[in-house]
Amino acid sequence: MKQVLARPAARFAIGLVAPLLFLAWWQWQASSGGARALTFAPLQSIGAALVELVADGALARDMFATVSRSLAGLAIGGSLGIAMGVSMAIWRPLDRVLGPLLHAIRQVPLIGWLPLFGLWFGTGQGTELIVVCLSAFFPAMLNSYEGVAHVEQRYLDVGRLYGFTPFQRFRLLLLPAAMPLILTGLTQALAFAWIASIATEILLGAGSGLGVTMQLAQTQQRLDVILVAIIATALLGFVINTLFQRLRRHLLRWQAAPL
Amino acid sequence: MFVDPRPPSVASTDHAARGALTIADLDKSFAIGGEPRRVLDNINLSVKAGEFVSIVGASGCGKSTLLRLIVGLDADYSGEIRLDGNRIASTSLDRGIVFQDHRLFPWMTLAQNIELALLNTDTPKERRAQIVADHIALVNLKGFEQAYPHQLSGGMAQRAAIARALVTEPKLLLLDEPLGALDALTRVHVQNELQRIWMTQRSTVLMVTHDVEEALYLGDRVVIMAPDPGRIRRIVDVDLPHPRDRGAPLLHRLKDEILAELTAAPADPANLVRLPGREDRR
Repeated sequence: MKQVLARPAARFAIGLVAPLLFLAWWQWQASSGGARALTFAPLQSIGAALVELVADGALARDMFATVSRSLAGLAIGGSLGIAMGVSMAIWRPLDRVLGPLLHAIRQVPLIGWLPLFGLWFGTGQGTELIVVCLSAFFPAMLNSYEGVAHVEQRYLDVGRLYGFTPFQRFRLLLLPAAMPLILTGLTQALAFAWIASIATEILLGAGSGLGVTMQLAQTQQRLDVILVAIIATALLGFVINTLFQRLRRHLLRWQAAPL
Repeated sequence: MFVDPRPPSVASTDHAARGALTIADLDKSFAIGGEPRRVLDNINLSVKAGEFVSIVGASGCGKSTLLRLIVGLDADYSGEIRLDGNRIASTSLDRGIVFQDHRLFPWMTLAQNIELALLNTDTPKERRAQIVADHIALVNLKGFEQAYPHQLSGGMAQRAAIARALVTEPKLLLLDEPLGALDALTRVHVQNELQRIWMTQRSTVLMVTHDVEEALYLGDRVVIMAPDPGRIRRIVDVDLPHPRDRGAPLLHRLKDEILAELTAAPADPANLVRLPGREDRR
Protein backbone atom coordinates (compact mmCIF):
# COMPACT_ATOMS: atom_id res chain seq x y z
CA MET A 1 0.00 0.00 0.00
CA LYS A 2 2.77 2.37 0.97
CA GLN A 3 4.65 1.74 -2.27
CA VAL A 4 1.52 2.29 -4.33
CA LEU A 5 0.84 5.55 -2.51
CA ALA A 6 4.35 6.75 -3.23
CA ARG A 7 3.37 7.32 -6.87
CA PRO A 8 1.60 10.67 -7.48
CA ALA A 9 -0.65 9.18 -10.18
CA ALA A 10 -1.80 6.46 -7.79
CA ARG A 11 -2.47 8.99 -5.04
CA PHE A 12 -4.50 11.08 -7.47
CA ALA A 13 -6.53 8.04 -8.61
CA ILE A 14 -7.26 7.01 -5.02
CA GLY A 15 -8.44 10.54 -4.28
CA LEU A 16 -11.00 10.17 -7.09
CA VAL A 17 -12.59 6.98 -5.71
CA ALA A 18 -14.88 8.67 -3.17
CA PRO A 19 -16.16 11.42 -5.54
CA LEU A 20 -16.92 8.84 -8.26
CA LEU A 21 -18.80 6.59 -5.82
CA PHE A 22 -20.73 9.64 -4.67
CA LEU A 23 -21.66 10.54 -8.28
CA ALA A 24 -22.82 6.97 -8.96
CA TRP A 25 -25.00 7.04 -5.84
CA TRP A 26 -26.38 10.43 -6.87
CA GLN A 27 -27.25 9.26 -10.36
CA TRP A 28 -28.95 6.16 -8.95
CA GLN A 29 -31.07 8.34 -6.63
CA ALA A 30 -31.94 10.78 -9.44
CA SER A 31 -33.02 8.04 -11.85
CA SER A 32 -35.07 6.05 -9.35
CA GLY A 33 -38.03 8.30 -10.11
CA GLY A 34 -40.80 9.63 -7.90
CA ALA A 35 -40.24 12.39 -5.38
CA ARG A 36 -36.51 11.85 -5.50
CA ALA A 37 -36.26 13.24 -9.00
CA LEU A 38 -37.15 16.66 -7.55
CA THR A 39 -34.35 16.48 -4.94
CA PHE A 40 -31.65 14.95 -7.11
CA ALA A 41 -31.10 16.38 -10.58
CA PRO A 42 -29.73 13.70 -12.91
CA LEU A 43 -26.12 14.11 -14.01
CA GLN A 44 -27.08 14.73 -17.63
CA SER A 45 -29.20 17.79 -16.73
CA ILE A 46 -26.39 19.12 -14.52
CA GLY A 47 -24.09 18.59 -17.50
CA ALA A 48 -26.51 20.47 -19.74
CA ALA A 49 -26.68 23.37 -17.28
CA LEU A 50 -22.88 23.41 -17.14
CA VAL A 51 -22.67 23.61 -20.95
CA GLU A 52 -25.24 26.40 -20.92
CA LEU A 53 -23.42 28.43 -18.26
CA VAL A 54 -20.04 27.95 -19.91
CA ALA A 55 -21.40 28.83 -23.35
CA ASP A 56 -22.85 32.22 -22.37
CA GLY A 57 -19.80 33.03 -20.24
CA ALA A 58 -21.81 33.30 -17.04
CA LEU A 59 -19.82 30.68 -15.18
CA ALA A 60 -16.47 32.23 -16.05
CA ARG A 61 -17.76 35.67 -15.05
CA ASP A 62 -19.10 34.35 -11.74
CA MET A 63 -15.93 32.44 -10.91
CA PHE A 64 -13.77 35.44 -11.71
CA ALA A 65 -15.97 37.75 -9.63
CA THR A 66 -15.98 35.48 -6.58
CA VAL A 67 -12.27 34.66 -6.75
CA SER A 68 -11.22 38.26 -7.23
CA ARG A 69 -13.51 39.43 -4.41
CA SER A 70 -12.04 36.80 -2.08
CA LEU A 71 -8.43 37.49 -3.01
CA ALA A 72 -8.90 41.27 -2.85
CA GLY A 73 -10.47 40.87 0.58
CA LEU A 74 -7.67 38.55 1.65
CA ALA A 75 -5.02 40.97 0.40
CA ILE A 76 -6.56 44.04 2.05
CA GLY A 77 -7.96 42.50 5.23
CA GLY A 78 -5.11 40.01 5.65
CA SER A 79 -2.32 42.56 5.30
CA LEU A 80 -4.07 45.03 7.61
CA GLY A 81 -4.57 42.16 10.07
CA ILE A 82 -0.91 41.15 9.94
CA ALA A 83 0.18 44.77 10.34
CA MET A 84 -2.15 45.25 13.31
CA GLY A 85 -1.25 41.95 15.01
CA VAL A 86 2.49 42.48 14.58
CA SER A 87 2.30 46.11 15.79
CA MET A 88 0.29 45.12 18.85
CA ALA A 89 2.79 42.40 19.73
CA ILE A 90 5.83 44.66 19.30
CA TRP A 91 4.38 47.74 20.90
CA ARG A 92 2.34 46.66 23.93
CA PRO A 93 0.66 50.04 24.63
CA LEU A 94 -1.19 49.65 21.32
CA ASP A 95 -2.37 46.23 22.52
CA ARG A 96 -3.62 47.77 25.75
CA VAL A 97 -5.52 50.52 23.95
CA LEU A 98 -6.96 48.68 20.95
CA GLY A 99 -6.94 45.05 22.14
CA PRO A 100 -10.19 45.07 24.16
CA LEU A 101 -12.09 46.90 21.41
CA LEU A 102 -10.89 44.53 18.67
CA HIS A 103 -11.56 41.43 20.74
CA ALA A 104 -15.11 42.64 21.38
CA ILE A 105 -15.73 43.43 17.71
CA ARG A 106 -14.42 40.00 16.76
CA GLN A 107 -17.26 38.35 18.68
CA VAL A 108 -19.80 39.60 16.13
CA PRO A 109 -20.18 36.96 13.38
CA LEU A 110 -19.47 38.44 9.98
CA ILE A 111 -23.09 38.06 8.88
CA GLY A 112 -24.05 40.16 11.89
CA TRP A 113 -22.47 43.19 10.25
CA LEU A 114 -24.59 43.05 7.12
CA PRO A 115 -27.63 45.02 8.39
CA LEU A 116 -25.41 47.82 9.71
CA PHE A 117 -23.18 47.94 6.66
CA GLY A 118 -26.27 47.77 4.47
CA LEU A 119 -27.56 50.97 6.08
CA TRP A 120 -24.19 52.68 5.95
CA PHE A 121 -22.81 51.66 2.59
CA GLY A 122 -25.86 50.31 0.73
CA THR A 123 -26.30 46.76 -0.45
CA GLY A 124 -23.84 46.90 -3.35
CA GLN A 125 -20.54 45.28 -4.13
CA GLY A 126 -18.69 47.71 -1.86
CA THR A 127 -20.42 46.26 1.19
CA GLU A 128 -19.65 42.73 0.02
CA LEU A 129 -15.95 43.57 -0.20
CA ILE A 130 -15.92 45.28 3.20
CA VAL A 131 -17.39 42.20 4.89
CA VAL A 132 -14.86 39.96 3.12
CA CYS A 133 -11.98 42.23 4.26
CA LEU A 134 -13.28 42.23 7.82
CA SER A 135 -13.58 38.44 7.91
CA ALA A 136 -9.97 38.05 6.67
CA PHE A 137 -8.69 40.67 9.11
CA PHE A 138 -9.24 38.89 12.43
CA PRO A 139 -7.62 35.48 11.82
CA ALA A 140 -4.61 37.25 10.32
CA MET A 141 -4.41 39.65 13.25
CA LEU A 142 -4.80 37.07 16.02
CA ASN A 143 -2.23 34.62 14.64
CA SER A 144 0.34 37.30 13.76
CA TYR A 145 0.03 38.66 17.28
CA GLU A 146 0.57 35.23 18.83
CA GLY A 147 3.50 34.52 16.51
CA VAL A 148 5.41 37.71 17.28
CA ALA A 149 4.51 37.85 20.98
CA HIS A 150 5.80 34.35 21.64
CA VAL A 151 9.18 34.33 19.94
CA GLU A 152 11.42 32.26 22.20
CA GLN A 153 13.68 34.11 24.61
CA ARG A 154 16.66 31.99 23.57
CA TYR A 155 16.47 33.46 20.06
CA LEU A 156 15.93 36.99 21.39
CA ASP A 157 19.16 36.48 23.41
CA VAL A 158 21.02 35.73 20.19
CA GLY A 159 19.74 38.99 18.74
CA ARG A 160 21.09 40.86 21.77
CA LEU A 161 24.45 39.07 21.57
CA TYR A 162 25.00 40.23 18.02
CA GLY A 163 23.78 43.77 18.66
CA PHE A 164 20.71 43.73 16.41
CA THR A 165 19.13 47.11 15.73
CA PRO A 166 15.34 47.20 16.21
CA PHE A 167 14.88 46.88 12.45
CA GLN A 168 17.27 43.91 12.20
CA ARG A 169 15.53 42.31 15.12
CA PHE A 170 12.22 42.65 13.30
CA ARG A 171 13.36 41.52 9.87
CA LEU A 172 15.81 38.74 10.79
CA LEU A 173 14.29 37.44 14.02
CA LEU A 174 10.69 38.36 14.88
CA LEU A 175 9.19 38.13 11.40
CA PRO A 176 10.72 34.79 10.33
CA ALA A 177 10.13 33.28 13.78
CA ALA A 178 6.48 34.30 13.58
CA MET A 179 6.09 33.24 9.94
CA PRO A 180 4.58 29.78 10.63
CA LEU A 181 1.78 31.35 12.66
CA ILE A 182 1.36 34.29 10.28
CA LEU A 183 0.82 31.81 7.45
CA THR A 184 -1.58 29.79 9.59
CA GLY A 185 -3.48 33.03 10.09
CA LEU A 186 -3.51 33.68 6.35
CA THR A 187 -4.77 30.15 5.68
CA GLN A 188 -7.66 30.76 8.03
CA ALA A 189 -8.18 34.22 6.57
CA LEU A 190 -8.40 32.69 3.10
CA ALA A 191 -11.08 30.26 4.25
CA PHE A 192 -13.00 33.04 6.00
CA ALA A 193 -12.73 35.33 2.96
CA TRP A 194 -14.04 32.57 0.71
CA ILE A 195 -17.00 31.86 3.01
CA ALA A 196 -17.72 35.58 3.37
CA SER A 197 -17.68 36.09 -0.41
CA ILE A 198 -20.21 33.37 -1.11
CA ALA A 199 -22.36 34.35 1.88
CA THR A 200 -22.54 38.06 1.07
CA GLU A 201 -23.20 37.29 -2.58
CA ILE A 202 -26.15 35.10 -1.59
CA LEU A 203 -27.49 37.64 0.89
CA LEU A 204 -26.91 40.86 -1.05
CA GLY A 205 -26.92 39.53 -4.59
CA ALA A 206 -24.98 42.51 -5.93
CA GLY A 207 -22.81 42.22 -9.03
CA SER A 208 -21.92 38.78 -10.31
CA GLY A 209 -20.52 35.81 -8.42
CA LEU A 210 -21.17 32.15 -7.68
CA GLY A 211 -23.34 33.08 -4.68
CA VAL A 212 -25.39 35.53 -6.76
CA THR A 213 -26.07 32.82 -9.31
CA MET A 214 -27.03 30.31 -6.59
CA GLN A 215 -29.52 32.77 -5.11
CA LEU A 216 -30.99 33.60 -8.52
CA ALA A 217 -31.28 29.93 -9.45
CA GLN A 218 -33.13 29.22 -6.24
CA THR A 219 -35.82 31.77 -7.11
CA GLN A 220 -36.03 30.20 -10.60
CA GLN A 221 -36.14 26.68 -9.16
CA ARG A 222 -33.07 25.71 -11.24
CA LEU A 223 -31.66 22.84 -9.17
CA ASP A 224 -29.16 21.99 -11.92
CA VAL A 225 -27.73 25.54 -11.93
CA ILE A 226 -27.42 25.58 -8.14
CA LEU A 227 -25.50 22.33 -8.31
CA VAL A 228 -23.15 23.61 -11.01
CA ALA A 229 -22.43 26.68 -8.86
CA ILE A 230 -21.82 24.51 -5.79
CA ILE A 231 -19.49 22.19 -7.68
CA ALA A 232 -17.60 25.19 -9.09
CA THR A 233 -17.32 26.66 -5.58
CA ALA A 234 -16.01 23.41 -4.17
CA LEU A 235 -13.43 22.85 -6.92
CA LEU A 236 -12.24 26.47 -6.97
CA GLY A 237 -11.87 26.56 -3.20
CA PHE A 238 -9.96 23.30 -3.32
CA VAL A 239 -7.57 24.58 -6.02
CA ILE A 240 -6.93 27.91 -4.28
CA ASN A 241 -6.29 26.19 -0.97
CA THR A 242 -3.92 23.67 -2.56
CA LEU A 243 -1.92 26.45 -4.26
CA PHE A 244 -1.76 28.34 -0.99
CA GLN A 245 -0.49 25.30 0.90
CA ARG A 246 2.23 24.85 -1.74
CA LEU A 247 3.31 28.45 -1.22
CA ARG A 248 3.26 27.92 2.54
CA ARG A 249 5.44 24.81 2.30
CA HIS A 250 7.91 26.71 0.14
CA LEU A 251 8.11 29.65 2.53
CA LEU A 252 8.53 27.30 5.51
CA ARG A 253 11.01 24.94 3.85
CA TRP A 254 13.39 25.58 6.75
CA GLN A 255 11.10 23.63 9.06
CA ALA A 256 11.67 19.96 9.67
CA ALA A 257 9.22 17.89 7.64
CA PRO A 258 6.24 16.84 9.75
CA LEU A 259 6.49 13.21 10.78
CA MET B 1 44.34 16.81 12.70
CA PHE B 2 46.46 19.76 13.74
CA VAL B 3 47.68 20.89 10.35
CA ASP B 4 44.51 22.86 9.58
CA PRO B 5 45.48 26.29 8.40
CA ARG B 6 44.61 29.02 10.79
CA PRO B 7 41.85 31.14 9.23
CA PRO B 8 43.48 34.25 7.77
CA SER B 9 41.03 36.48 9.62
CA VAL B 10 42.43 35.39 12.94
CA ALA B 11 46.05 35.77 12.10
CA SER B 12 47.51 39.01 13.22
CA THR B 13 46.32 40.12 16.61
CA ASP B 14 48.36 40.59 19.71
CA HIS B 15 46.80 37.92 21.87
CA ALA B 16 48.83 38.66 24.95
CA ALA B 17 47.07 41.99 25.43
CA ARG B 18 43.48 40.80 25.04
CA GLY B 19 40.95 38.74 26.85
CA ALA B 20 42.01 39.03 30.50
CA LEU B 21 38.95 38.59 32.72
CA THR B 22 38.74 39.77 36.29
CA ILE B 23 35.80 39.00 38.56
CA ALA B 24 35.87 40.66 41.97
CA ASP B 25 33.44 40.37 44.89
CA LEU B 26 30.59 39.33 42.59
CA ASP B 27 27.19 38.77 44.18
CA LYS B 28 23.95 38.03 42.39
CA SER B 29 20.45 37.50 43.77
CA PHE B 30 17.14 36.59 42.18
CA ALA B 31 13.75 37.41 43.67
CA ILE B 32 11.97 34.09 44.07
CA GLY B 33 8.42 34.40 45.37
CA GLY B 34 9.18 37.95 46.56
CA GLU B 35 12.15 36.78 48.64
CA PRO B 36 15.64 37.68 47.44
CA ARG B 37 17.64 34.52 47.02
CA ARG B 38 21.38 34.65 46.58
CA VAL B 39 22.60 32.54 43.66
CA LEU B 40 26.21 33.76 43.49
CA ASP B 41 28.15 34.65 46.57
CA ASN B 42 31.45 36.50 46.63
CA ILE B 43 32.95 35.17 43.41
CA ASN B 44 36.58 36.16 42.84
CA LEU B 45 38.39 34.87 39.78
CA SER B 46 41.11 36.08 37.43
CA VAL B 47 41.52 34.51 34.03
CA LYS B 48 44.68 35.31 32.11
CA ALA B 49 44.49 36.21 28.41
CA GLY B 50 44.57 33.05 26.34
CA GLU B 51 43.85 30.77 29.26
CA PHE B 52 41.29 27.93 29.17
CA VAL B 53 39.39 27.73 32.46
CA SER B 54 36.74 25.10 33.18
CA ILE B 55 34.03 25.46 35.80
CA VAL B 56 32.41 22.37 37.32
CA GLY B 57 29.82 22.02 40.03
CA ALA B 58 26.51 20.46 40.96
CA SER B 59 23.43 21.80 39.22
CA GLY B 60 22.05 24.89 40.91
CA CYS B 61 25.45 26.30 41.79
CA GLY B 62 24.98 29.32 39.53
CA LYS B 63 27.41 28.34 36.78
CA SER B 64 25.09 29.36 33.94
CA THR B 65 24.05 32.53 35.74
CA LEU B 66 27.71 33.46 36.03
CA LEU B 67 28.17 33.09 32.25
CA ARG B 68 25.03 35.14 31.53
CA LEU B 69 26.49 37.94 33.64
CA ILE B 70 29.87 37.75 31.92
CA VAL B 71 28.38 37.75 28.44
CA GLY B 72 26.26 40.74 29.40
CA LEU B 73 22.72 39.38 29.02
CA ASP B 74 22.06 40.32 32.63
CA ALA B 75 23.60 43.50 34.05
CA ASP B 76 21.93 43.30 37.46
CA TYR B 77 24.75 42.28 39.81
CA SER B 78 26.93 43.76 42.47
CA GLY B 79 30.71 43.61 42.37
CA GLU B 80 32.95 43.86 39.35
CA ILE B 81 33.31 41.92 36.14
CA ARG B 82 36.01 43.41 33.95
CA LEU B 83 37.36 42.35 30.58
CA ASP B 84 40.72 43.97 29.88
CA GLY B 85 39.83 46.55 32.51
CA ASN B 86 36.41 47.52 31.13
CA ARG B 87 33.37 46.85 33.31
CA ILE B 88 30.80 44.60 31.65
CA ALA B 89 27.29 46.02 31.54
CA SER B 90 25.81 44.77 28.26
CA THR B 91 26.48 42.37 25.41
CA SER B 92 29.37 43.05 23.08
CA LEU B 93 31.01 41.42 20.10
CA ASP B 94 34.14 41.15 22.32
CA ARG B 95 32.53 38.14 23.95
CA GLY B 96 31.12 35.08 22.25
CA ILE B 97 29.00 32.40 23.86
CA VAL B 98 27.91 28.87 22.96
CA PHE B 99 24.86 27.57 24.80
CA GLN B 100 23.90 23.99 25.56
CA ASP B 101 21.25 24.25 22.83
CA HIS B 102 22.84 25.49 19.62
CA ARG B 103 20.41 28.43 19.15
CA LEU B 104 20.98 28.61 15.44
CA PHE B 105 18.05 30.37 13.75
CA PRO B 106 16.05 27.52 12.19
CA TRP B 107 14.95 29.75 9.30
CA MET B 108 18.50 30.41 8.11
CA THR B 109 21.06 28.14 6.51
CA LEU B 110 24.26 27.29 8.35
CA ALA B 111 26.25 29.87 6.36
CA GLN B 112 23.60 32.57 6.93
CA ASN B 113 23.57 31.81 10.65
CA ILE B 114 27.32 32.26 10.92
CA GLU B 115 27.37 35.38 8.78
CA LEU B 116 24.70 36.83 11.06
CA ALA B 117 27.32 37.27 13.76
CA LEU B 118 29.26 39.60 11.44
CA LEU B 119 26.21 41.74 10.66
CA ASN B 120 27.14 44.60 12.98
CA THR B 121 30.92 44.32 12.80
CA ASP B 122 33.06 46.55 10.61
CA THR B 123 34.24 43.53 8.61
CA PRO B 124 34.11 44.57 4.93
CA LYS B 125 31.09 43.02 3.18
CA GLU B 126 33.18 41.44 0.42
CA ARG B 127 35.37 39.57 2.93
CA ARG B 128 32.53 38.14 4.97
CA ALA B 129 31.77 35.16 2.74
CA GLN B 130 35.41 34.09 2.88
CA ILE B 131 35.61 34.45 6.66
CA VAL B 132 32.42 32.42 7.06
CA ALA B 133 33.79 29.72 4.74
CA ASP B 134 37.05 29.61 6.73
CA HIS B 135 35.19 29.10 9.99
CA ILE B 136 32.94 26.43 8.50
CA ALA B 137 36.13 24.65 7.47
CA LEU B 138 37.59 25.19 10.93
CA VAL B 139 34.76 23.21 12.54
CA ASN B 140 34.85 20.59 9.75
CA LEU B 141 31.44 21.38 8.27
CA LYS B 142 32.48 22.01 4.69
CA GLY B 143 29.71 20.97 2.31
CA PHE B 144 26.90 21.83 4.74
CA GLU B 145 26.87 25.59 4.10
CA GLN B 146 23.35 25.52 2.66
CA ALA B 147 21.87 23.07 5.18
CA TYR B 148 19.13 24.24 7.54
CA PRO B 149 19.70 23.50 11.24
CA HIS B 150 17.07 20.73 11.33
CA GLN B 151 19.10 18.90 8.69
CA LEU B 152 22.20 18.80 10.92
CA SER B 153 22.94 16.27 13.65
CA GLY B 154 23.27 17.51 17.22
CA GLY B 155 27.07 17.44 17.08
CA MET B 156 27.16 19.28 13.75
CA ALA B 157 24.75 21.96 14.94
CA GLN B 158 26.85 22.46 18.07
CA ARG B 159 30.02 22.82 15.97
CA ALA B 160 28.16 25.37 13.81
CA ALA B 161 27.27 27.27 16.98
CA ILE B 162 30.96 27.22 17.95
CA ALA B 163 31.86 28.61 14.51
CA ARG B 164 29.26 31.36 14.92
CA ALA B 165 30.74 32.31 18.29
CA LEU B 166 34.29 32.35 16.89
CA VAL B 167 33.64 34.24 13.67
CA THR B 168 33.69 37.64 15.39
CA GLU B 169 37.10 36.77 16.90
CA PRO B 170 35.91 37.36 20.46
CA LYS B 171 38.53 38.13 23.09
CA LEU B 172 36.65 35.86 25.42
CA LEU B 173 34.72 32.73 24.47
CA LEU B 174 32.13 31.47 26.95
CA LEU B 175 30.93 27.89 26.70
CA ASP B 176 27.80 27.02 28.69
CA GLU B 177 27.73 23.20 28.82
CA PRO B 178 28.22 23.23 25.05
CA LEU B 179 28.48 19.47 24.79
CA GLY B 180 25.95 18.58 27.47
CA ALA B 181 23.30 17.40 25.01
CA LEU B 182 25.60 15.25 22.90
CA ASP B 183 26.08 11.49 23.09
CA ALA B 184 29.31 10.16 24.55
CA LEU B 185 31.09 9.46 21.24
CA THR B 186 30.19 12.79 19.65
CA ARG B 187 31.25 14.49 22.86
CA VAL B 188 34.77 13.09 22.68
CA HIS B 189 34.98 14.07 19.03
CA VAL B 190 33.85 17.66 19.62
CA GLN B 191 36.12 17.93 22.69
CA ASN B 192 39.07 17.07 20.45
CA GLU B 193 37.92 19.70 17.97
CA LEU B 194 37.51 22.28 20.69
CA GLN B 195 41.07 21.65 21.85
CA ARG B 196 42.37 21.93 18.30
CA ILE B 197 40.41 25.13 17.63
CA TRP B 198 41.50 26.70 20.89
CA MET B 199 45.14 25.88 20.12
CA THR B 200 44.68 27.61 16.76
CA GLN B 201 42.82 30.67 18.03
CA ARG B 202 44.17 31.06 21.56
CA SER B 203 41.36 33.27 22.74
CA THR B 204 40.48 33.17 26.41
CA VAL B 205 37.91 30.46 27.12
CA LEU B 206 35.65 29.97 30.11
CA MET B 207 33.73 26.69 29.93
CA VAL B 208 30.97 25.53 32.24
CA THR B 209 30.42 21.78 32.31
CA HIS B 210 29.18 19.07 34.62
CA ASP B 211 31.63 16.56 33.17
CA VAL B 212 34.76 16.53 35.33
CA GLU B 213 36.76 14.58 32.76
CA GLU B 214 35.95 17.16 30.08
CA ALA B 215 36.84 20.01 32.43
CA LEU B 216 40.25 18.44 33.12
CA TYR B 217 40.98 17.44 29.53
CA LEU B 218 40.48 20.97 28.21
CA GLY B 219 41.15 23.31 31.12
CA ASP B 220 44.40 24.91 32.23
CA ARG B 221 42.59 25.34 35.50
CA VAL B 222 39.40 23.84 36.89
CA VAL B 223 37.17 25.93 39.14
CA ILE B 224 35.04 23.82 41.48
CA MET B 225 31.84 25.52 42.56
CA ALA B 226 29.53 24.68 45.46
CA PRO B 227 25.78 25.35 45.52
CA ASP B 228 23.41 27.26 47.84
CA PRO B 229 24.56 29.91 47.35
CA GLY B 230 26.86 29.43 44.35
CA ARG B 231 30.45 30.02 45.39
CA ILE B 232 33.96 28.94 44.46
CA ARG B 233 35.06 26.01 46.57
CA ARG B 234 38.47 25.38 45.09
CA ILE B 235 40.59 25.99 42.01
CA VAL B 236 42.71 23.12 40.63
CA ASP B 237 45.70 23.70 38.36
CA VAL B 238 46.06 21.19 35.54
CA ASP B 239 49.76 21.43 34.81
CA LEU B 240 49.89 19.57 31.52
CA PRO B 241 50.66 20.99 28.07
CA HIS B 242 48.15 20.87 25.18
CA PRO B 243 47.36 18.81 23.15
CA ARG B 244 46.66 16.40 25.94
CA ASP B 245 46.46 12.65 26.17
CA ARG B 246 43.21 11.45 27.73
CA GLY B 247 45.12 8.63 29.41
CA ALA B 248 47.53 10.92 31.26
CA PRO B 249 47.85 9.69 34.88
CA LEU B 250 47.64 13.26 36.21
CA LEU B 251 44.17 13.71 34.67
CA HIS B 252 42.93 10.51 36.29
CA ARG B 253 44.33 11.36 39.67
CA LEU B 254 42.77 14.85 39.56
CA LYS B 255 39.46 13.42 38.38
CA ASP B 256 39.23 11.06 41.35
CA GLU B 257 40.16 13.88 43.66
CA ILE B 258 37.58 16.32 42.29
CA LEU B 259 34.81 13.73 42.13
CA ALA B 260 35.50 12.82 45.75
CA GLU B 261 35.23 16.45 46.67
CA LEU B 262 32.02 17.05 44.70
CA THR B 263 30.25 13.97 46.02
CA ALA B 264 31.46 14.09 49.62
CA ALA B 265 28.39 13.79 51.81
CA PRO B 266 28.20 16.14 54.74
CA ALA B 267 28.93 14.01 57.82
CA ASP B 268 25.87 15.19 59.65
CA PRO B 269 23.84 12.31 61.15
CA ALA B 270 20.69 14.40 60.79
CA ASN B 271 21.01 13.89 57.04
CA LEU B 272 20.67 10.13 57.30
CA VAL B 273 17.16 9.14 56.40
CA ARG B 274 15.38 6.79 58.72
CA LEU B 275 12.95 4.57 56.88
CA PRO B 276 9.95 3.94 59.09
CA GLY B 277 9.41 0.32 60.02
CA ARG B 278 12.79 -0.91 58.82
CA GLU B 279 14.37 -1.41 62.23
CA ASP B 280 11.52 -3.71 63.34
CA ARG B 281 12.48 -6.39 60.83
CA ARG B 282 15.79 -7.16 62.40
